[in-house]
Amino acid sequence: MTRIEFWQGNIACAEGALAAGCTFFGGYPITPSTEVAEHMAAKLPKRGGAFIQMEDEIAGIASIIGASWTGARAMTATSGPGFSLMMENIGFAIMTETPCVVVNVQRGGPSTGQPTMSAQGDMLQVRFGSHGDIAIIALCPATVQEMFELTVKAFNLADKYRVPVFLMADETIGHMREKIIVPDTVERVERKPFVAGTPAFRVTDPDNIPGFPAFGTGQHVHVTGLTHDERGYPCATNPNLHMALVKRLVDKIENARDEMADYDVINPDAGQVFVAYGAPVRTVMQVMHDKKDTNIGFLRIRTVWPFPEKALAEFKNAKRFIIPEMNLGQISREIERHVCVPVRSIPKLGGELHTPEELVAVLEEKA
Amino acid sequence: MKLVIDEIRCKGCNLCTKVCPYKIFREGKKLNRRGIAVPELDRPERCTNCRLRNLYGRQLCGVCQLTCPDQAIHWIDEEPYEPHKVAIEY
Amino acid sequence: MSYDDWFRKDRLPHIFCAGCGNGTIINCTLAAIDQMNWKKEETIFVSGIGCSSRAPGYILTDSLHTTHGRAIAFATGVKMAKPDFNVVVFTGDGDMAAIGGNHFIHACRRNIDMTVVCMNNQIYGMTGGQGSPTTPKGCLSSTTPYGCAETPFDLCELATAAGANFVARWTSYHVKELEKSVKAGLETPGFSFIEVLTQCPTAFGRRNKFRQVIDHVEFLKSHSLLKAKRDRLVEKHEHVPEDMFVVGELTRRNRPALGVKP
Repeated sequence: MTRIEFWQGNIACAEGALAAGCTFFGGYPITPSTEVAEHMAAKLPKRGGAFIQMEDEIAGIASIIGASWTGARAMTATSGPGFSLMMENIGFAIMTETPCVVVNVQRGGPSTGQPTMSAQGDMLQVRFGSHGDIAIIALCPATVQEMFELTVKAFNLADKYRVPVFLMADETIGHMREKIIVPDTVERVERKPFVAGTPAFRVTDPDNIPGFPAFGTGQHVHVTGLTHDERGYPCATNPNLHMALVKRLVDKIENARDEMADYDVINPDAGQVFVAYGAPVRTVMQVMHDKKDTNIGFLRIRTVWPFPEKALAEFKNAKRFIIPEMNLGQISREIERHVCVPVRSIPKLGGELHTPEELVAVLEEKA
Repeated sequence: MKLVIDEIRCKGCNLCTKVCPYKIFREGKKLNRRGIAVPELDRPERCTNCRLRNLYGRQLCGVCQLTCPDQAIHWIDEEPYEPHKVAIEY
Repeated sequence: MSYDDWFRKDRLPHIFCAGCGNGTIINCTLAAIDQMNWKKEETIFVSGIGCSSRAPGYILTDSLHTTHGRAIAFATGVKMAKPDFNVVVFTGDGDMAAIGGNHFIHACRRNIDMTVVCMNNQIYGMTGGQGSPTTPKGCLSSTTPYGCAETPFDLCELATAAGANFVARWTSYHVKELEKSVKAGLETPGFSFIEVLTQCPTAFGRRNKFRQVIDHVEFLKSHSLLKAKRDRLVEKHEHVPEDMFVVGELTRRNRPALGVKP
């Protein structure tokens, strides 16, 4: 039985995690993501899971990586300053191919910035923040319903691709209450099974993903953040091995770019095309609703990383891409890389959403 | 039982010469192929574990084995009728 | 040897320098674990970064070699997610007392059921001999070329004050006592902390008049003061020598613990 609820975005995220079978939450309170931790603290122990409030965000992500290796589905939730602290261990999770979900309810930065206001300033940090060459998956919800659905999806993508997956929400969505239809059951993708007795990180399939040898299954796996060979043993001075390993870790995500792309295309023949993710989606929807003009297109992106570049190609007659973002144009730069027509960024900082009038004014300006 | 030093693992730190209560190790003088002077055994029949382990059925002393940072010391069973050097101490 | 089958034999010999005490501490820990009748698949070794933290790579169990200072935080996740597992953390003085100090005191406070073995060589060995939070006053290192001016941490007192259930200190010379203490720590529910002072001939000894490994081990032996003896001296209001460190089982209590096997 599906049921209809009136939930806050952060609660929807926590409920999504519980529906997806998350049994471990380790985190540290930070505005505006705290409700996720609070809800998990109330619900997890009753369901046989474990909730632990760690001493900082570094320990928060460390604990979920540890928990993930025992086979549990694990999650943490944070915001800007905590997200910056997590960067080193995010790199560790990528290097060791540990599935985990990190929720970042974004707030105004840099530094402490605007703790209670909305922003999308971490969109490039999530992609490039950890050192070395990395590839990750980041999802952006625009409604409370998507907070639920994308959290479930984040767990499935994390387990499928063995990579940390980020739910890049913002304060607007996290603290907004909205109608949500809660499904009875959700889809669950399991980690790739491990062939007992084979080297721990041996890849045989063309998707570049090794099977997952969980702790406690007697495989004696050695997990290290050092450059390692297929047995998992450190071998940090072999140039070819390092190249092959990092290339594989990046390729397994980048090659699946089209497979995991999740976006909506409205009016693909339009000349002026809005591109949005997260909270600005809502303003664009209002403009689309008010104008009812087939010459205004809209690309609504849910998987921001890896960026779904094939989505841009669907707008064959596009003369201009307009990108409202609650930052100084972070994803606009990525879009500029992929298109040959002008890209107009509408940056907005301060914590308030774009108004429909602001977007209409840009639509009407002379190209 | 017979004490054996694994020449591949030993790094020649000579800690065994310091900790053995029976002083059965002494510093090696000859460098091996890897340039390491592996300690030599000096009258190893004085080692309690060598003599009495099979009689008592458990590990005795074993300080050298625990101390050896390179896991190079272990005991093996002797061949039957292996010749022994007899030492008489007064 | 009885604990021999706990080693990943294809990985030996290990990367530690000749005369390094870390190998001794691994031996003693494994000898203690071997007496616990633990299954290999239910025992997890966790470590951070540094010489000490290479240890789990030589042990034939599931092992997690993590980021600098965070070993205890990772171990907390493993233990909370699966309380059935036996979790042992290998860490060093720089790893645990400097960058991981916060995780350490909070794990003590939570009294989470794990055993932490700290290989305290009083220096950053892997990066080439920089001063650490436990470098004794006046000792030379590459970042304290005029002698260390800061007061070192007493890790055992720190652990006791923060709430750990079991705290002991030994040196790499006291192998039998160390083995017994590690075993007692493994048996104690809650957080067990065993500090082991050890020699680092390459980075510490070379700069601090212990050119020979044996000289440093001799120093550790002669400057360790048994807890019972210290207590007697205190009782009789006699002078306790300042240049000696107390060894022995320092704390054992039964405070409520977290994550104990059901």
